[in-house]
Amino acid sequence: MQYMLLINEDESIYEGENGAKLMEETLAGHMALAQKLTEKGIEFSGERLKPGATATTIKWDHGKQSLHDGPFAETHEELGGFYIIDVASLDEALDWAKMLPIPGRGAIEVRPVWPMGE
Amino acid sequence: MNEASGLAAAIARARPRVVAALAAHLRDLDAAEDAFAEATAACLALKASPDNPPAWLLTVAKRKAIDAIRRKQAEIRAVDAAAMVNDMAEIIQLPEPIPDERLRLIFICCHPALAVEARAALAMKVICGLPVRAIAKVFVTSEATMFQRITRAKAKIHGAGVDFELPPRKAWNERLGAVLLTLELAYTVAYQDAGADLDPELSGEVARLSQMVAELLPGEAEALGLAALVALVRSREAARVDGDGAMVPLSKQDTSLWDETLIERARAWLDDAAKFGRTGPYQLMASIQLTHARRAFDGNTDWETILVLYDALLTVRPMPTVWLNRAVALANVEGVKAALEEIEKLPAGQLSSARPFHAARADLLARAGDRAGAISALDAALKLDPPRAERLYLERKRFDLDRS
Repeated sequence: MQYMLLINEDESIYEGENGAKLMEETLAGHMALAQKLTEKGIEFSGERLKPGATATTIKWDHGKQSLHDGPFAETHEELGGFYIIDVASLDEALDWAKMLPIPGRGAIEVRPVWPMGE
Repeated sequence: MNEASGLAAAIARARPRVVAALAAHLRDLDAAEDAFAEATAACLALKASPDNPPAWLLTVAKRKAIDAIRRKQAEIRAVDAAAMVNDMAEIIQLPEPIPDERLRLIFICCHPALAVEARAALAMKVICGLPVRAIAKVFVTSEATMFQRITRAKAKIHGAGVDFELPPRKAWNERLGAVLLTLELAYTVAYQDAGADLDPELSGEVARLSQMVAELLPGEAEALGLAALVALVRSREAARVDGDGAMVPLSKQDTSLWDETLIERARAWLDDAAKFGRTGPYQLMASIQLTHARRAFDGNTDWETILVLYDALLTVRPMPTVWLNRAVALANVEGVKAALEEIEKLPAGQLSSARPFHAARADLLARAGDRAGAISALDAALKLDPPRAERLYLERKRFDLDRS
């Protein structure tokens, strides 16, 4: 089954004097994880997203649309990127999700992808 | 016992093993439960009981499940239909011994990805086959809510692709914590109201599940500890309520009514657990109860040991209820005055229920000779809607104080 790992992170940790170095380490962590997934023969894809400040949200309310500056959810954590991995079970997906580098506060939502034709 | 009720009991005993084997085979809890229910109905309809009910049930349930899958797929060709002709009466060859998949099923029902409040309920439903109505009663909620909770948990297992394999050993600790916690939750609920309004079958099932976990995981000290704890509390079931239906506090219980076999079993579990040298809250709680149980053999309660155990428990579980029980032990070691001082420091609002606080305080005040104080503490406890057995006990106590 395919699972999407939605990475929600506190962006502010990458600001300030230590921020750039921390970001470098986090990216290295992602590279290492991608390497591991490849070694295990697991099909995956993923992207890093630009900061929440660049987001625009279109809201729907029974046919009426309105544009908003910023991300959808008003939380301390922003959706910062995602993976889609193809593994056998939720348990495996959770094991991989636990390996993602989150230096500060964050949360990863793990969701099965609705299979085509089901 | 007549044959019909004997067979029903045999089916209930077989259930955990058979449903677990079915779930592992079918990888679907609903399908496993449905197939077992169908097999049970077929078994009860037989003219003569099968020699080996578990094996018979498993064989028939597997066939029923295959039928159900075929029906669902709507691909019943004439050949298959002919093969499906009901041949259950002629089952000659039974399968090899039923594989023990119970642990696997427990780990699935208590998967950490499921809502905490759903895990124990799901285990009781799937493994023990308790009706949703009874489970709702245990968790003090409506049948509709409980039904929804269990349905959601099953839908999550199915929809999110929870693994039906036994998790790797390294994942057991996390899972075991969830299993023990759910069992503790169920146990607390099943025993908290002094057995007055509860179906004894329910506390029996909690005990059965905790014993099963201990037997399946003999290397886990805390699993043994929890099983011992449940067995010890259960050993007093006959003594907890008197002829009028009033609660009998532990110190006043007639020890000849205690079940010595259960006490012995608990002691053996705790001895086994101690060999691992890894203590934990369940072992400590069980040790406290075992110390109380010794009164059945020598007539004495070793309060000093109990106090030391509560001190240890407080370091791993700094909860207001533990603090309260420690104060009660302290009263028997250093005296009522010291205990009252301790108890007054405890903010009653932090207790999940303030009733035990008022009841304990009433007892200590009465022992200290403060009759008026004791009566007002009893009134405070009685205002908090105690279950029947406890209410009768508190009312009687209040009556005695009023008269003295």
